[in-house]
Amino acid sequence: MMFLSLLGIAIKALWANKLRTTLTLLGVIIGVTSVMTIISALEGMMGAIESQIDRMGPSTFVVTKWGLITSEEAYWEAVKRKPISLEAVDLVEAGCENCEKVCARAFNRANIKRGSQTLRRVSIGGVDPNFIDIADVEVGQGRFYSYEESLHRKQVAFIGHTVREELFSGVDPIGKDIRIGGKKYTVVGVAKEMGSVFGNNHDNFTLIPFTAYMKQFGEPGDQFNLMIKAFSVEVLDETMDDVRLILRSQRHVPYNKPDDFALITADNVLEMVNSITKLFRVGLVGISSISLVVGGIVVMNIMMVSVTERTREIGIRKSVGAKKKHILIQFLYEALLTTMTGGFIGIVLGYIIADALVGMIDMEISPSSFAIIAGLSISTGTGLIFGIYPAMKAARLDPIKALSYE
Amino acid sequence: MPLIETKNLWKTYKMGTEEVNALREVSISIEKGEYVAIMGPSGSGKSTLMNLIGCLDTPTQGEYKLNNRQVSSMNDDELANIRNREIGFVFQTFNLLPRATSLHNVELPLIYNGSPADLRRKMAEEALAKVELSDRMMHKPSELSGGQRQRVAIARALVNNPSILLADEPTGNLDSKTSVDIMRLFDELHREGNTIIVVTHEQDIAKRAHRVLSILDGKIASDVRVSEEGRKIL
Repeated sequence: MMFLSLLGIAIKALWANKLRTTLTLLGVIIGVTSVMTIISALEGMMGAIESQIDRMGPSTFVVTKWGLITSEEAYWEAVKRKPISLEAVDLVEAGCENCEKVCARAFNRANIKRGSQTLRRVSIGGVDPNFIDIADVEVGQGRFYSYEESLHRKQVAFIGHTVREELFSGVDPIGKDIRIGGKKYTVVGVAKEMGSVFGNNHDNFTLIPFTAYMKQFGEPGDQFNLMIKAFSVEVLDETMDDVRLILRSQRHVPYNKPDDFALITADNVLEMVNSITKLFRVGLVGISSISLVVGGIVVMNIMMVSVTERTREIGIRKSVGAKKKHILIQFLYEALLTTMTGGFIGIVLGYIIADALVGMIDMEISPSSFAIIAGLSISTGTGLIFGIYPAMKAARLDPIKALSYE
Repeated sequence: MPLIETKNLWKTYKMGTEEVNALREVSISIEKGEYVAIMGPSGSGKSTLMNLIGCLDTPTQGEYKLNNRQVSSMNDDELANIRNREIGFVFQTFNLLPRATSLHNVELPLIYNGSPADLRRKMAEEALAKVELSDRMMHKPSELSGGQRQRVAIARALVNNPSILLADEPTGNLDSKTSVDIMRLFDELHREGNTIIVVTHEQDIAKRAHRVLSILDGKIASDVRVSEEGRKIL
């Protein structure tokens, strides 16, 4: 009851001092907006990276000679390794019980032509037909190529959304021919649009049977890798162990030497991205928090002025029976109302700015509950921390001195 | 039993290394329904005495009993409670909240004792009617004359039915005609049974009271009952 009355008093006081209230709000808004922009943008980017990495699926891993390379040393070490050999496919398929699917893959870049139109340096993937069952690629139109086509090294192509848009605008591409690096391929299907991350278009690709890829580009060598799907997430570790053993014996790795190849899961990639970006993220949030502290100091400063200016009002309130806690609560309410309103506006503004920023690199963010909760608690905390001192100062005023204050 | 009873009140202030005795051995007793003027030149200690009686301050030494309750040993919150329920202040400078309406100013004491909003409004309206300001309820102090402002302050002092109406130079900022109006209002409130204590240095004001306490150098110099005849001379 009384707290409602005090809230009413606080609202009236804020309303009566519009300029002062606006200035305080501005301080808080700037602080919260900058923190929220950073948090929302980072959350959005990390979310996009995660969903991209998750496309691999939780029970899938890749066998490559390269591994996740994070230093120059590691790169030079990896360069010396033997490529994964083609026999490994058969060995794994024969020897690994938990492997549901084993897909041979190699990538290259080539120009694609249709009539007089040319699309330069498109990513060409030579992949086995079971790729469509493992990877997060969906058929939008037509079909993926079949085992028979792969077996007979048919020159068929499954094209990405961008390739279709660029070379077949307004035309049904199914059954039409394209030329990849000069060789004729027949389009059998088109992938669903996947969008882009960090300005990186994920639809500018064309897949052809691995067999046909070998015929055109020769042995893939260093670019060869295996994508393997285990039967379930539960047996993933076991499966990876099996595959590791098979490869070690095939590559004659001595028992006391580490693997000269790498098995990569989505989790590995995620971990690496997280650890690389961690310092960067903490740093950004830290720097942006400085403006929040400045905002808090603005709140405190203006409240101190407000308390001094309203010394007489405090004296009057005390003379008619206001207790310390009543004055304290009134001033804390004023601080909290401004910082929470400022916080709310800051969250919305921060989101809008983050969305615009992230939009520039072709990504989208969604409102994250973490960012909203962080923003609200940060602004409320600012109000409490920077509001409590002036409020206590007001509450402690001696009524006689306050009444005679000019 | 007296309403106000003080025994050997001392109030000492420290001014640097020196100690100043603003009040010395003040022992007074005021009954319910009395109309008392406290007189004295500036610096005599009358404001200090008023602050003590009004529970804005506590004595350095001595006892103060209000309504048979020992006030001298109370803490800040207890004093605030007493001010809220037992004391109605009227100040020389009115001390109204400048941005609030008359109604809100009068409601103020009721807010701090947790009265519900509808009761607050009803009581404040009644108090304003008593000082004949029912038509100025929604006006702010800046829209009122000096006399009207002081009447709002009196309404605020009365709204909670306090034991004492404590006025500090209530006419100090008013012209003589308005002063007479305000003092007439005090007379009327006294007739209705209110206990009134007025601190003043003006003889004319003091003469309206039924008892004059003179204070000099922190001590009670005289305590005179003013006769009916003495007041009639006015």
